[in-house]
Amino acid sequence: MLSAIQSAFPGSVLESRVESDRRLWITVDPKKLVEITQFLRDKKDFDHYSGAAGVDRINENLFEVVEILTSHGAHQVVVMMKVRVPRDKPSVRSLTGLYWNANWYEREIWEMYGINFEGHPELYPLLLPDELVGYWPWRKDFKGYPDTTTGERAIEQVGPDGYTEFKIMPHPEMIKAGVVPERPKYPTFREREEAEIKSDSEMIMHMGPQHAIVPGPFLLDLLIEGERVKKAFLDVGYIHKGIEKIMENRTYLQGIVYTDRMCYLASITNNEAYCGAVERLLNITPPERAQYIRVILAELSRIQSHLLGTGEFLTLLGAATYSPFQYMIIDREDLVYLMESITGARITHTFVRFGGVRNDLPDGFADKARPILKRMRERTEEYMDLLHSDPIYTRRMRGIGVLSPGDARRLGVSGPPLRASDTPYDMRREDPILVYPDLDFKVVTRKAGDAEARVEVRLEEILESIHIIEQCLDQIPEGPIQEKLPKKIKPEPGEAYYRVEDPRGEMGFYVISDGSEKPYRVKVRGPVYAYMQALPPLLEGAYVADVVAIAGSMDACTSEVDR
Amino acid sequence: MGISDVIPVPVAIDEEIEKWTIWGRPVADVWFTTTEKIHQIIQMGPIKNVLNWGRKNSLWFLMQPMGCCGVEMLVFGCPHYDCDRFGIIPRATPRQADVMIISGYITRKYLPAIKNLWEQMLEPKWCIAVGECAISGGPFYDSYNIIQNTSDFFPIDVYVPGCPPRPEQFIKGFVELQEKIKQRKDKRGY
Repeated sequence: MLSAIQSAFPGSVLESRVESDRRLWITVDPKKLVEITQFLRDKKDFDHYSGAAGVDRINENLFEVVEILTSHGAHQVVVMMKVRVPRDKPSVRSLTGLYWNANWYEREIWEMYGINFEGHPELYPLLLPDELVGYWPWRKDFKGYPDTTTGERAIEQVGPDGYTEFKIMPHPEMIKAGVVPERPKYPTFREREEAEIKSDSEMIMHMGPQHAIVPGPFLLDLLIEGERVKKAFLDVGYIHKGIEKIMENRTYLQGIVYTDRMCYLASITNNEAYCGAVERLLNITPPERAQYIRVILAELSRIQSHLLGTGEFLTLLGAATYSPFQYMIIDREDLVYLMESITGARITHTFVRFGGVRNDLPDGFADKARPILKRMRERTEEYMDLLHSDPIYTRRMRGIGVLSPGDARRLGVSGPPLRASDTPYDMRREDPILVYPDLDFKVVTRKAGDAEARVEVRLEEILESIHIIEQCLDQIPEGPIQEKLPKKIKPEPGEAYYRVEDPRGEMGFYVISDGSEKPYRVKVRGPVYAYMQALPPLLEGAYVADVVAIAGSMDACTSEVDR
Repeated sequence: MGISDVIPVPVAIDEEIEKWTIWGRPVADVWFTTTEKIHQIIQMGPIKNVLNWGRKNSLWFLMQPMGCCGVEMLVFGCPHYDCDRFGIIPRATPRQADVMIISGYITRKYLPAIKNLWEQMLEPKWCIAVGECAISGGPFYDSYNIIQNTSDFFPIDVYVPGCPPRPEQFIKGFVELQEKIKQRKDKRGY
């Protein structure tokens, strides 16, 4: 792959490193970025734009933009393509012309680092509130971190229309440093209405930020004409916590706690992704027993996440007077109890460690787990029957929110929504980690690509996960659960990208080490970020009544989008 | 306002009536009075205890999940922990809710929205802060985007610590709120 790029573009690959047969790190000339990407996309099957990260190399007076490119099953190579630009007036050419889903990633890098993207269609804030735009908070010389005075600086004002508004005055450090921000604003409701409404039959309907669609707030502005959605606008960032910035200022071990709080329904897989990346930096592999324990927990966590996601989605439809949800929660409690017996926590486990796990399995775990899994299997089959035989449900769900395989790939979604669109793309197969290659499971797919198919994929994945756990319980060997490591973890300078299959799709962690106790940069490539970005085009042309069904069937988790 | 301002009565009867009292106040005030005054009288009388008994046994809360505690809040509203036993029912809109559970981090961007939600709720209303983030910022205390002093913006009656607290702790928090309402020691003084 590397030689192909070098021969096609002589002199524009500045640095390169082949880590394994699945990772390729190259640094390219900023002028040739778009051409090289186009070459990779068209000639080398890199049809999946997986994400982008900004890095502030303050000592070298450079900014780095890392583009993560990979393929939907044609091959398993992940190219980490870096571009370096000078720190004063940084500007990179945008990839939105080649990959539709580069939009949000570039917007995020712009608002956090102030790197301009030439040719980007809509460069306005995504996650940050208006008053923070222009301070570029993820730069290393940002003055407002740590900040424990945000609330004290809030000023309550009653606006001309009678609503209370809050203004948060700048941090004293920032005033001292003389940072004068420029502020491209997010359009207000009124501005959006004036810009978008063209005729009398149209109106804008606001859904959110508080809405029962997902666990977490987001705002959906729907431009509707009659009963049809003409255009949808999505605003996220209501619970942006700045986790990536905080993790840069904590030690490696303390960082695990934050991965839990990123998506609380998938905390084990998040732990796994972060610890896996750091393990690559440390160049260690966990012992086999620890790997099995991790797999068991990851699959348990997948089952409980799918149960909660499906159940919550059914309540949105008002399915069968709320009751499948109640049953699913009762079943989920059994699983949570099982996980709690290992980790000691219900949802935020902080269980995976670098080179192992925290505890061993408790005595008699297998005997306790087997009946619960057996009952779980029966119940899941019952749910599948129930949903399949319910004419109201099928009529409501069939054929809405259809994602064709081509569209699903283009929009960059992964996980159950992608597999429901007839694309067998699963990280456990694509980028095998832990003991997954030894286990027997099948990647569940559906042809239809509609909301019903997504729910079916989730329910069937529960059965697959149960199958995996049962194999693990049979095969798990005795032995140590933790590699010997020094107390203070200081990886060699370097970088690693590690991805796992989250309950919701492809979850990747990109960790850079500079040889100190704290990571230099942590980038999270979350699956829900891609779902949410794909939501507005998916909603176009749908009935207003179906909006909740479509958005709910994606099973989104806002906390991970906002981070 | 005296009784003689409204109906001209013989002076002797007027004087007689003004001597009568009910709950320590002249009965004339009670007969010819405004809604506001009725409220004041209810405030001091034992009727209030009866009202509060009703209120404390039907605390409907606003489903407004914001973080990890939001998931535990969902579970708390479901059969396994069965909050209905205490008359606690989840509602999806602030217009029907009595209790707001702040179940996570309040950010700069969300503060105006959540304040709006609080103002949309009808009286009587109470506020519970659940989890470390809602109490003091929690693990995100030094972030550039998190409000740490939630209690400056909301009259919080009960703090439920934990990261996240278990559903049992939610129940305990609600029981404490009920006790507060019963003893009339809640922040807004119902």
